[in-house]
Amino acid sequence: MSEKRINMVEKSNNKRQRVNQVPEFNINDHHDVLVEIFRRLDGPSLCSAACVCRLWSAVARNDSIWEELCFRQVSPRPSLSLRSVVSALGGYRCLYFLCIRPVLARLPKVLWTRDQLQLSLSLYSVHYYERLHVGAWLGDAPPSSLMFLRKPVNVV
Amino acid sequence: MTKRSHQETSIEEPHSVADMGKNLEEDNMDELLAVLGYKVRSSDMAHVAQKLEQLEMVLTNDNDDVNSNALNDTVHYNPSDLSGWAQTMLSELNYYQPLSPDLVPARICSEFVPIPDDDECCSSSNSSNKRIRLDPWCDSVSSESTTRPVVLFVDSQETGVRLVQALVACAEAVQLDNLSLADALVKRVGSLAASQAGAMGKVATYFAEALARRIYRIHPSSAAIDPSLEEILQMHFYESCPYLKFAHFTANQAILEAVTTARGVHVIDLGINQGMQWPALMQALALRAGGPPSFRLTGVGSPSNRDGIEQLGWKLAQLAQAIGVEFEFNGLTAQRLTDLEPEMFETRPESETLIVNSVFELHPVLAQSGSIEKLLATVKAVKPSIITVVEQEANHNGVVFLERFNEALHYYSSLFDSLEDGVVIPSQNRVMSEVYLGRQIVNVVAAEGFDRIERHETLAQWRKRMGTAGFEPVNLGSDAYKQASLLLALFGGGEGYRVEENDGSLMLAWQTKPLIAASAWKLAAYR
Repeated sequence: MSEKRINMVEKSNNKRQRVNQVPEFNINDHHDVLVEIFRRLDGPSLCSAACVCRLWSAVARNDSIWEELCFRQVSPRPSLSLRSVVSALGGYRCLYFLCIRPVLARLPKVLWTRDQLQLSLSLYSVHYYERLHVGAWLGDAPPSSLMFLRKPVNVV
Repeated sequence: MTKRSHQETSIEEPHSVADMGKNLEEDNMDELLAVLGYKVRSSDMAHVAQKLEQLEMVLTNDNDDVNSNALNDTVHYNPSDLSGWAQTMLSELNYYQPLSPDLVPARICSEFVPIPDDDECCSSSNSSNKRIRLDPWCDSVSSESTTRPVVLFVDSQETGVRLVQALVACAEAVQLDNLSLADALVKRVGSLAASQAGAMGKVATYFAEALARRIYRIHPSSAAIDPSLEEILQMHFYESCPYLKFAHFTANQAILEAVTTARGVHVIDLGINQGMQWPALMQALALRAGGPPSFRLTGVGSPSNRDGIEQLGWKLAQLAQAIGVEFEFNGLTAQRLTDLEPEMFETRPESETLIVNSVFELHPVLAQSGSIEKLLATVKAVKPSIITVVEQEANHNGVVFLERFNEALHYYSSLFDSLEDGVVIPSQNRVMSEVYLGRQIVNVVAAEGFDRIERHETLAQWRKRMGTAGFEPVNLGSDAYKQASLLLALFGGGEGYRVEENDGSLMLAWQTKPLIAASAWKLAAYR
């Protein structure tokens, strides 16, 4: 490295040390607080937050945030065994995007109840199985039993 | 003026406001309709124009009470969306149109040129009809290239009616063994079907093929069907419409209600296929209040699919391990369901609740006399707690060919309609689903004897058979109804799909025509 360069590096190191001597609160240093804040967001806001920076995107992948989002309107709260099942099937985030969000969009007038949740879980498990099994003999075709949820519906 | 420059239009605008009223359907839709509050995209304009023309034709020729009632009952959700509005009206009316051959539009009648039986004249007489009809339209519409597609559509209204008439006439000829007439008619059907757009044309093409096969006796035996192709087609059918999902979810709900306190569950699936029914059941068992039971699945499949069955057993085991359900899989291969004996299932009645599940597997057994009784006796011998049965709701097993044909025409028209109007699916999926249904059509119409395996019977008929065999019905609960309604609501189609309750069983209907019936049974108590 050239002399000039070494000088610059030293100066910035000194500056950093000086900064570190003064404690500053930076939300990005406290991931647990970030998670708590994200848990209170709704779907669209959460997606916007996940686009802010890489750190926030990584934090937003925390499954407990999406669990909160999925069950916010369901009462009573589902059992804890649900968490292990959903994690095994791919996690709450995928459940939200694949099943719950399209179901909510298709049935806006209906209150979100355990019935819709049960249906979403059934569809989710079919999707998991399809990824496991069907792809093997259908060649490289991606699982598409949930395709009907993603495609636009004829609005009549 | 500024709007016009931004929008592309291939239609000339009228020269006077007076024309606007008459030509509202065809000219200047984008600007003027937008001012009036109707939203029509410029790219859709020609298409919407065609639909509105068709609608106008039907409305002005409407002399049928049924149709006008249908119009009153139509529900519109977004009237400013002209395209959707026209589609609703058309689908309400079209449903009645192809199936009432006596509806002869008054305006077209006066210009009707009788079409000779010789199919060579067919196309020329069709075009002469077009020429005749073009004249009255020319008065109100400036001559543009877009009028021609409009007139073609008007033509298809009539070809739809003629198509059904020709199909039925051909079937009658086959029934009377008048094969030369049938041959001529089937060719006519083919050419009419080719010019008919939409579901009607596709159904007619399959029925024409089936009739041709019957006439020339070239139906391949069911044993020659490639099983891997069959699986692929069924997969596409599973993905593109709700019928199989309805069948699986409803049967699963009945099973769940029967095993709420069981420590062990053993399911015998008479047709394992790709095992798509079982992940959802296993997930529901895993979340059962009080913890999951152990789950044993015995899947029956065809000997040619031995490897596939083993594969799917492994995959189901993987799923079971992931979600924490104790799982055991047994694959049984049998050429015919009647080859099954009770000992093969290795039931453990002291520790397991036994369930027998059949989704579209009972009707092929009717091809041989005495077989269904033997199968039901075997099922009875294993003493299941509950038997879930899903079958097509149609009588395609009548002795008289013509009756079978008419039933099948009605049934498959509804099915194809639902594929057309339901959730928008990629064309490849829809084509595969249509091929899947087309093979059923060919089997119902062209096959006979042991080869005719699509021997669908109605729920009422199955109730008799099950009753005779010593079973009594179990009512499907309201949870099954709710879940089925939710599932169907996800499939859109303008609420064309409906769940109907029928004496404790559930039926899936498209536009009030029941298509699939799901029921549950148990051993009748001894009196």
